[in-house]
Amino acid sequence: MRDRLRIIGVGSPFGDDRLGWVAVEMLQNSAALAAVGGGSISFAVLDRPGALLLAHWHDADRVIVVDAVRSGAPPGTRHRLEPGEWAATESVSSHGFGLASALELARVLGDLPSHLVLYGIEIDPTCSGFSLSEPVRRSLPDLIHEIEREVGFFAQSGVF
Amino acid sequence: MAERRDISIQVPVLARVEGEGALELRVHNGAIEDLKLRIFEPPRMFEKLLEGRDYSEVPDMVARICGICPVAYQMSAVQAIENLFRVEPGPWVSAMRRVLYCGEWIQSHSLHIHMLAAPDFFGCSSVVELARTHAAEVRRGLTLQALGNDIIRLFGGRSVHPVGVRVGGFHRAPAMAEVHALRAQLRAALPQAEALVHWTASLDLPESEQEFTSVALRHSGEYPLTRGRLVSDSKLDISVDRFEAHFTEQQVPHSTALHCLHDGRPYLVGPLARLNLNRDCLPAPVRAALDSTGIRFPCRNMHYSIVARAVEIYFAVHEALRLLEAYSEPDSPFVEVQIRAGAGFGCTEAPRGTLWHRYDVATDGSVARARIVPPTSQNQARIEADLRQALQAYGLEHEDAALRRRGERVIRNYDPCISCATHFLDLRVMRS
Repeated sequence: MRDRLRIIGVGSPFGDDRLGWVAVEMLQNSAALAAVGGGSISFAVLDRPGALLLAHWHDADRVIVVDAVRSGAPPGTRHRLEPGEWAATESVSSHGFGLASALELARVLGDLPSHLVLYGIEIDPTCSGFSLSEPVRRSLPDLIHEIEREVGFFAQSGVF
Repeated sequence: MAERRDISIQVPVLARVEGEGALELRVHNGAIEDLKLRIFEPPRMFEKLLEGRDYSEVPDMVARICGICPVAYQMSAVQAIENLFRVEPGPWVSAMRRVLYCGEWIQSHSLHIHMLAAPDFFGCSSVVELARTHAAEVRRGLTLQALGNDIIRLFGGRSVHPVGVRVGGFHRAPAMAEVHALRAQLRAALPQAEALVHWTASLDLPESEQEFTSVALRHSGEYPLTRGRLVSDSKLDISVDRFEAHFTEQQVPHSTALHCLHDGRPYLVGPLARLNLNRDCLPAPVRAALDSTGIRFPCRNMHYSIVARAVEIYFAVHEALRLLEAYSEPDSPFVEVQIRAGAGFGCTEAPRGTLWHRYDVATDGSVARARIVPPTSQNQARIEADLRQALQAYGLEHEDAALRRRGERVIRNYDPCISCATHFLDLRVMRS
């Protein structure tokens, strides 16, 4: 059976790149999401999936991806992007096959979900170790709240 | 007569290889004056990091060396330590390690064929561009790659840096229901893998024969993955603990990866070397698919490596299914081990070629010394030799862009994993 909504956290264990994983863990424990979505929401955390991101969303109607973002904005800046707002970047290796390339590949193959949105926070690229930087940590509750609100709109429009 | 111009080509960052490397080529008076595969990715010091760690931590630590071939690192490591501890984990563990390794071959080879190599054959710069004209093939590649990841996840808990392997066996055995589901996926993948062999063989592959020595494992009738003796087509036949007597690593100034030589000469490891030495060990349907391509073996054309990878995917799907058809849940997925001090040696066939490990373990079970020789450092001298011959044969009168493209294709034939190979640094401070 198709999932109505899949929330995917993309990241790695290192520094602010953990953001997607931490956010999904918070969303899994969110009372607001449990109230509106119940069993219709599935969650996944992925470690740099590259092109295989497509395999993780092909059976879902709506997809929210949470990932660390680097756009040059100050660390902690929140982003909400729809597919048209993503610029495909040239990847030089499969190590560098990121979200933008996966999205472009999905578009070419006709495998884009009917509704796809990326939530992210601008990271501090100098942040290392196994915890989030202060600006990202401070911004995280607002990001979670924005995602809860978007899922709430889905619920009001009869998605679940 | 062709113009004899001076050429200086610098490819500052090689595209579609794993990790960061560069190619430098200088041509003077119609001849290659200098050619270097520069590897500048920072050295990673993994061997030093392992020193002082308990032997039981090694499988999880070495899995971190590579996101593409973590299983290979785990397999060579546990073999080395079990060899030292004189442990035989039994047929269930041996069979399931083989299945796990098949998963890694399937995902790594599929990734390389579709994401890294195939765009070359259609004049595309990336798999995204290739997908515009060859959507079905790219889709098939993604399906196979996902299957490989699913196999790794079954045993490793997760597909990137898996954690299921331990000295003596596995931390847990998969449940029968999980194995059932995977068997169905494997059956469905068999015809796809066979079709992939034919597709790669139908590509317009350049003709470029070269002389080289192939080195691979070989083990009594089975296609090599997790064990065997090291053999070559120039009469090498040794147990893996004799590696250091025949293979030497040397430093070159332009690379943070060591060059490994066999009796002082470059040699080839990897899919084509394995096929050259073990084609007779392929299961009948896989052998038939290979024979139908008409490629003559032993094969001396490195451009046929893409076909060799496809053949090994077909083999790995077939082999994983064969072993999982006989699956039963064991009483215990591992055997207990007793620490013994000394040196242990392990060698298995990573997707890119033989991966050799040595661990010296102290009486308290801690690692006193570790040595890891990855396939890319073994192939590095061969890649440079190949580039010299291939570019000269291709014709140095070609435009710079064409020479650059040909050079990159030659390098990609080896599927170098530069991140794996960079584990050494000689720091020289020059003062005047």
